[in-house]
Amino acid sequence: MTTTTTDGQPATAPATTTSFAARAIDVVKTHGRGEAAVRALDGASVAIPTGRFTAVMGPSGSGKSTLVHALAGLDGIDSGRVLVGDTDLTELSERERTLLRRERLGFVFQAFNLVPSLTAAENIALPLTLAGKRPDPAWLAELVEVLGLGPRLGHRPSQLSGGQQQRVAVGRALVARPELVFADEPTGNLDSRAGAALLSFLRDATRTFGQTTVMVTHDPVAAAYADRVVFLADGRIVDELADPTAETVLARLARLDTPRIDEPVGA
Amino acid sequence: MWRLALSNALASRSRLALTWLAVALGVAFVTGSLVLTDTSTRLLDDQFRTTAAGVDLTVRGAAAFDAAMGVEVQRDPLPAALADRIGATPGVDRVRAVASGPGQLQVDGRAVEPAGPTVLGTWAEAPFTAYELRAGRAPVADGEVVLDAATATGHGIDLGDTVVVSAATSRQLRVVGLTGVGDGDGLADSTVVLAALPTAQALLDLGTGVTSVDVIAAEGVPVADLRGDLAAALGEQYAVTNAQDAAAASADAAKESIEYLRIVLLALAAAGLVVGAFLIANTFGIVLTQRTRELALLRAAGATGRQVLASVLGEALLVGVTGAAGGTAAGIGAAHALRGLAQSAGLALPDGPLTVTGRTVVVGLAAGTVITLLAALGPARRAARTAPVAAMRASDPAPSAPRRRRLVTGWVALGLGVALLVTAALLRDVAGVAVGAVLLLAGLVVLGPVLAPRLARAVGRPLLGLGVPGQLARESAVRNPRRTAATATALALGLALIVFVTVLGSSVKAIGATSTEAITADLLVQSSRDEMLGGLSPEVADRIAALPEVAAVSSVRYGHWLDAGTTSALTAVDPATLPRVASVEMTAGELAALDGGGIVLATGVAAERGLRVGDTLAMTLPRHGEQRLRVVGLMDDDSARALSTSYVISLDTYAEHFTEDVDATVYIALTDDVDPAEARQTLRAAVADFPNAEILDQAEAAAGRAAAVDQVLGLVTVLLGFAVLIALLGITNTLALSIVERTREIGLLRAVGTTRTQLSWMVRAEAVLVAAVAVVVGLALGLGLAVATLAGLSSDTPVVVRVPVAQLGAIVVAAVLAGLAAGLLPARRAARLDVLSAIATQ
Repeated sequence: MTTTTTDGQPATAPATTTSFAARAIDVVKTHGRGEAAVRALDGASVAIPTGRFTAVMGPSGSGKSTLVHALAGLDGIDSGRVLVGDTDLTELSERERTLLRRERLGFVFQAFNLVPSLTAAENIALPLTLAGKRPDPAWLAELVEVLGLGPRLGHRPSQLSGGQQQRVAVGRALVARPELVFADEPTGNLDSRAGAALLSFLRDATRTFGQTTVMVTHDPVAAAYADRVVFLADGRIVDELADPTAETVLARLARLDTPRIDEPVGA
Repeated sequence: MWRLALSNALASRSRLALTWLAVALGVAFVTGSLVLTDTSTRLLDDQFRTTAAGVDLTVRGAAAFDAAMGVEVQRDPLPAALADRIGATPGVDRVRAVASGPGQLQVDGRAVEPAGPTVLGTWAEAPFTAYELRAGRAPVADGEVVLDAATATGHGIDLGDTVVVSAATSRQLRVVGLTGVGDGDGLADSTVVLAALPTAQALLDLGTGVTSVDVIAAEGVPVADLRGDLAAALGEQYAVTNAQDAAAASADAAKESIEYLRIVLLALAAAGLVVGAFLIANTFGIVLTQRTRELALLRAAGATGRQVLASVLGEALLVGVTGAAGGTAAGIGAAHALRGLAQSAGLALPDGPLTVTGRTVVVGLAAGTVITLLAALGPARRAARTAPVAAMRASDPAPSAPRRRRLVTGWVALGLGVALLVTAALLRDVAGVAVGAVLLLAGLVVLGPVLAPRLARAVGRPLLGLGVPGQLARESAVRNPRRTAATATALALGLALIVFVTVLGSSVKAIGATSTEAITADLLVQSSRDEMLGGLSPEVADRIAALPEVAAVSSVRYGHWLDAGTTSALTAVDPATLPRVASVEMTAGELAALDGGGIVLATGVAAERGLRVGDTLAMTLPRHGEQRLRVVGLMDDDSARALSTSYVISLDTYAEHFTEDVDATVYIALTDDVDPAEARQTLRAAVADFPNAEILDQAEAAAGRAAAVDQVLGLVTVLLGFAVLIALLGITNTLALSIVERTREIGLLRAVGTTRTQLSWMVRAEAVLVAAVAVVVGLALGLGLAVATLAGLSSDTPVVVRVPVAQLGAIVVAAVLAGLAAGLLPARRAARLDVLSAIATQ
């Protein structure tokens, strides 16, 4: 697999020999047992370049969510290795993985991203307060400014629109300046305008702050915001595409789309 | 819809398991109480019926009333010649003169102390009694005695052994026979001591008199006719009673104390059920909220609201019936445990096989089923109102704000309750206090959803210091007012009851302690058996008075009287010697004036009745019925408390109106020059053959009274602990269910880096917070009700309220720790929740 260089590489990016924020090497993951066993990842290997916005695509059941869960340390794997920076997740205890998520990773999910009883501001600061820290005020102010959440900080999630809720989630994912942000279908519940705004923001975060971002999506339009798209099928990386557009993504997907029985992944 | 109810109940059986347990526990308590009291009642009935086996009529001295406060009135002895007169009456086949009364038995210097009475009686076999000799022979000569075989076996007594029997007098008797009673070897929890008539008469100090005459009617003579004939022939001085009625009356008197127990037990069982009802309502509320989407789908598919209601109630019915059935079965086991508990708290309950009546089963099943249905009704009605469109809604509906009508009702009930409590307390009206308490509780229950979140926010303030887990715990408790209210109210009720009895108990003990101040005696003698009216032979006082170490002796006796139909108690004293052992403060008149046959009243009571010195008080006394006693003096209320009642007469007046001849307390003033410890030795030796005579100093007597209060308090607290246990189950259940509900939130928290430890603490903190809210409410409620009740009760004495701070502190700590324990299981469950499945639930 080769790394495509694009513009927008930040000056602050770590100048290490491995310019990968995370890597999956020969990862195998089986859901269920016996007859019902489903091989969600079947020797998948992928490298997430630092400071880039990577989209993961694939037909449903291709293992894309499982791959991201494995990379994020949300789920264990059966064999292979998963590295975040130079840390091998397979060697960590459950608690160490939790602390790693808290300190080095950020998450945006499709829905239910926020704790209902906390205000927007409290939700944004959550990973830091869990670690007993306070957010850097300048960084927080910048995030709030960019996300346009200023007047909404004191509101609870139930008082926010879907788009606002997702922007709060993005703020939370970024607040601790994580090495890596994972977004799992972040626009799945948004209308196209709110979705576009959110995706622009994720892209800008990569371009402006050098934020490494991995996004799972099934939407070619969303994937077009990324710097690079990797395609999964049957639990393996089968293709990738640099500087995607909706059209090129769609074309690649059509090529991939060999008929197969959809199997549920991850429940 | 029924099939739906069934499959729903089965599907959510783990969610309903604790609900089922709550129903079962509550019902077990109810049936256990019923089985225990039924059993005790039946055993007592049997006991009195077997002893009056073949007798048709019983002739006794007339009395104005049979029994008061569970104590049978003692009647005048009958002249021995009366038996012959009755025997000569046409229609009488046979008669038997009986001398019987309470006695004591001593073997090898040790007192035999059964849980029940020691019956001293006159030997006779069938048809007069159910006694059947098991060994030896009947007592014929003076100085011979027959004991029941069970007691003999239990205490290693053989034929030919010598025992000491005491009643009014004390004597050594030789055991010549052992008897059974009917099929049994004795009477449950009792000791039977039978002698020939002259021996029994001597022991009871009856002279030639007898206590009753048993009559057997001649063949073919109707008992009712003979009763009329005899009553006419003997005159008003004597009472002729159907023997079975007399036995029933005796049994009733004995059962009266069990009746109190029944009321207390059932009240506590009801408290357990009410607490359980909150748990049930909560569980159904949560389970149904979780199923909102499904219910809406049903409604969209054409189910009517009524059908949804029926389906939910069907589910409740299933839980209620099965829970009640389980509880009823468990109740029989509970009866055993309750009996053990009550006995260890010093209550005399007969042992024997348990009686399970159809009524018990019906009551148990009905109580469990009805409570469950009632508790589920609210959630079921809310479920029935689910709009079909809710199926399409993405998010769960926010908990609805309490309706205006609810607020108004709640505040009105609360306000009225408090107002009534305060006025009733000031007016010393216990009934008013009770009504006020009920109103207050109702108001609290209705307002719970409004008050609980505010309280939780205030009480939970310290949790903010614990970081995000603490903050989330507090918010979670605040977010769902109805749920937090129901969970906390249940626990608060249980705690309030415990606080209530604790404060009441310590205040009662404080009243007992104040009497020490008025009594100046160095030593006192009381019966170790704690008979209600006392149980010391008058000979005890006589022997002590004769000792050179003793400067003065004064006996005190108690009696029951009817105050316009209501049972009341009075104290009898010797006005000449009492001032030497107690300082009775008179506010009017003279104590010495009691000699003329009058009465001294507590000042408070006199004021309440509008009586002054010189007025008369109408009292129904056992021997001669209604009497008018002249008020000759008033004493201050502290003195009245020291003498135990607000009505004091002289021992002479007592002897005129009461047949009882036992001292309750003998107060002793020692001469100045003797050593109290040595004097005690001498005293003890002087009354050694009265095994129940206990020589105590003031401190020991006070400690004894306190211990008695503590025993009862302990029993009630243990039983209330049961209600608290159910309430704690409620916390566990509610939290466990709310964790299912908050799966996604928990998954999210875990994903963004909440450790398992942090998550566990979040859940535990919420459990502790709910417990703490309950503690605050329970403490305030219990204290308030206790103060109001004490004020309401103390119609004749000023309020004495003692708040046992240390004990209450212990209750608070225990409740909070229990809350922590209640949160353990749900906390584990939350921490173990799989992050992935949690965030995948969408």
